[in-house]
Amino acid sequence: MAKAFRASAGIMLAPAVTLIGVFVLVPMLLTVWLSFQDWSTQTPFSEASFVGLGNFHEIFGPTSVGRDFKTALLNTAIYTALSVVLILPLSVVFGLLVYQRQVAGGTALRTVLFSTYMVPMIAVALVWSKLYAPSEGPLNQLLGLIGISPQPWLSSPRSALVSIVLLNVWQQVGYFTVLAIAGLTQIPSSLYEAATLDGANGREQFRFITLPLLRRTLLFSAVIAIINAVQVFEPVALITQGGPVGSTNVLTYHIRRVGIERAQGGLGSAMAVMLMISLIVCVSALFAFVNRKDSE
Amino acid sequence: MSLAWISKLALAAGLVALPATGWAQSVNISYLTHWSPETVALLEAAAKDFSTTHPDVAITVRAVPFGDLLTTLRSQGGSSDGPTIGGIYDLWLPELARDKLVAPAPDAVASEVKKAWPAGVVSAASVGGALYGIPNEIDVYALNYNKELFKEAGIAAPPKTWAEFKDAAVKLTNKDKGQQGFGMINSWAAGVVHPFASLLVSNGGNLVKDGKPALDSPQAGETFALYEDLIKSGASNPAMATADANTTGPFLDNFVSGKTGMIIMANWWESALKTGMGDKFANIATAPIPVGPGGDKPHSISYSWMTVVNAKAGEAEQKAAWEFLAWLNSPKSGKNGASAMSDILMSMGILPSRTSDIEAHKDKLGSEFLSGYVSVLADAQPFPVVLGGQEFSESLQQTLEALQYGQVSAKDAQANAQADATSILERAAK
Repeated sequence: MAKAFRASAGIMLAPAVTLIGVFVLVPMLLTVWLSFQDWSTQTPFSEASFVGLGNFHEIFGPTSVGRDFKTALLNTAIYTALSVVLILPLSVVFGLLVYQRQVAGGTALRTVLFSTYMVPMIAVALVWSKLYAPSEGPLNQLLGLIGISPQPWLSSPRSALVSIVLLNVWQQVGYFTVLAIAGLTQIPSSLYEAATLDGANGREQFRFITLPLLRRTLLFSAVIAIINAVQVFEPVALITQGGPVGSTNVLTYHIRRVGIERAQGGLGSAMAVMLMISLIVCVSALFAFVNRKDSE
Repeated sequence: MSLAWISKLALAAGLVALPATGWAQSVNISYLTHWSPETVALLEAAAKDFSTTHPDVAITVRAVPFGDLLTTLRSQGGSSDGPTIGGIYDLWLPELARDKLVAPAPDAVASEVKKAWPAGVVSAASVGGALYGIPNEIDVYALNYNKELFKEAGIAAPPKTWAEFKDAAVKLTNKDKGQQGFGMINSWAAGVVHPFASLLVSNGGNLVKDGKPALDSPQAGETFALYEDLIKSGASNPAMATADANTTGPFLDNFVSGKTGMIIMANWWESALKTGMGDKFANIATAPIPVGPGGDKPHSISYSWMTVVNAKAGEAEQKAAWEFLAWLNSPKSGKNGASAMSDILMSMGILPSRTSDIEAHKDKLGSEFLSGYVSVLADAQPFPVVLGGQEFSESLQQTLEALQYGQVSAKDAQANAQADATSILERAAK
């Protein structure tokens, strides 16, 4: 009986497992295999030659290949950290504001917040590149009205990456606000009523009820925000081309330059593998941290 | 005749004509370029002219931003459904030919090109002695300056030497007005490297000599030092230098709005200047590159573009593509003995490279703006076309940008540039 059950379960699972295997696992394994090869993306796989850890040695080495990769890895880490640090608190703040049922126009506000997420990145990039224009840009003109001198935004290696982060936050915060609202709806109102009767003020209710019960939602939001941030590509390709001085050269854009423009498939694959490992480590560390907090 | 009968007859006629239409356009070829919509419209009109005498060939034109052109060729050119024809920068050719993405030209086309184009241009379109593309444009660099700003600063003539150049740059700088003397470019490899290379060759130096990087020469050291001086004196402001994926952006905005006194730039940006400046374009003049202490006379870096054919396209498509390109670049296709390609190029202020085209466009090439470029053509040095050239160019871009932003000294920039170039060219040559 059990044998028949296992057989039928296997048959039913086979299509999904096969699809996942073909379209997810095989490309991943292929990328890992290519990372140990010297291979031009314009030639068949059969022409790849094994170089062991040579590609990894090169991307962490002292030459321009290594220097550019390490800069791109660092830029991606900074971009990701800043995006998550800004998006998550803002999404909770906006979520709390919008979730107040008694506030008039709450639905309209939710729609406005979410609408930025629906705007195509090409339109966002076009508009923001003009907003950030150093001389005639509206942002600098607004700053001028309050006596602040013009900022270089995308034109300085010190501010270009942060400017791209702000653009990302503007576009993504609406989506994460919706997630925060979904989390808030899961918190029973009886808990707040009981806390009010016990004399807890708003700040205490937020600290001891809202935040702890939003933890799972925030974990999910953080994982999605990290994955989205690590995959950033369009604003860099459309606005800065990785410059100035490589300050916005993030890994996805750099891998495209190395793997496709220069056809260095082995090096590009080694970089992709490092990106994958970094992402797995980050997300696993985040889960471990939250699980430890839960068990405490 | 009733409406029903007219409809039936029209349907019958359509059914009869359908196979004929299918026969009439049996070969579809596509042309990938980075040109603007206005220029694409001119190319489409030329393709339509060609189709009147070649009804069996249908040509479609597709444009992508310059920043995406090489990636598109690399990612789609490996398939028979990719672009049949691509407009490419000569620096990309050695690697595209090595990876067998582009087809060698048929003998008839190759012998015609060798007869009708200058030898230097033909060599830039060849790899290992085989011709791969039909050259079209040639670009050189010159000093562009704003006559009105020169007048305001009390400068009578464009600088001829580096000393005069530095002096003019300082005089043209007015921080209160947000005005810089000399505009550098960043975030665009060719825009960063070519002006630097033009100053270097005008100082008697080279980027690459005998296939090896020559950035460790004293002349190169002086060129890095010139950049450092311009930045340190405040005569060049890197925050005004950014370019975007379409090779426009703040560096162009600052020049067209009269906030940059001088810039070293290629002839092709005439159309961008005209669009951005309108009547004020008359304020812009060109002059040869200022000569450095180690140089003998003004030199410029030149580079060329060509059209290549996808080696993976079908035999019929390749044949049709070469026929179209041979016609497009021949004196038969344009006006007054010029080729249609040269008419398209001249609409953007780009110099054609075919000898007969230069003759046919003599009048326009004598304009105040373009004549400054034509005059430096004879002494121009081709940008080195070597394996790994694009990576070398991007690496030098990073070093020059770091120098622009004060992240490295001129001495360190020179050492880094030479070390990077050596490792890149050695790896590419393996």
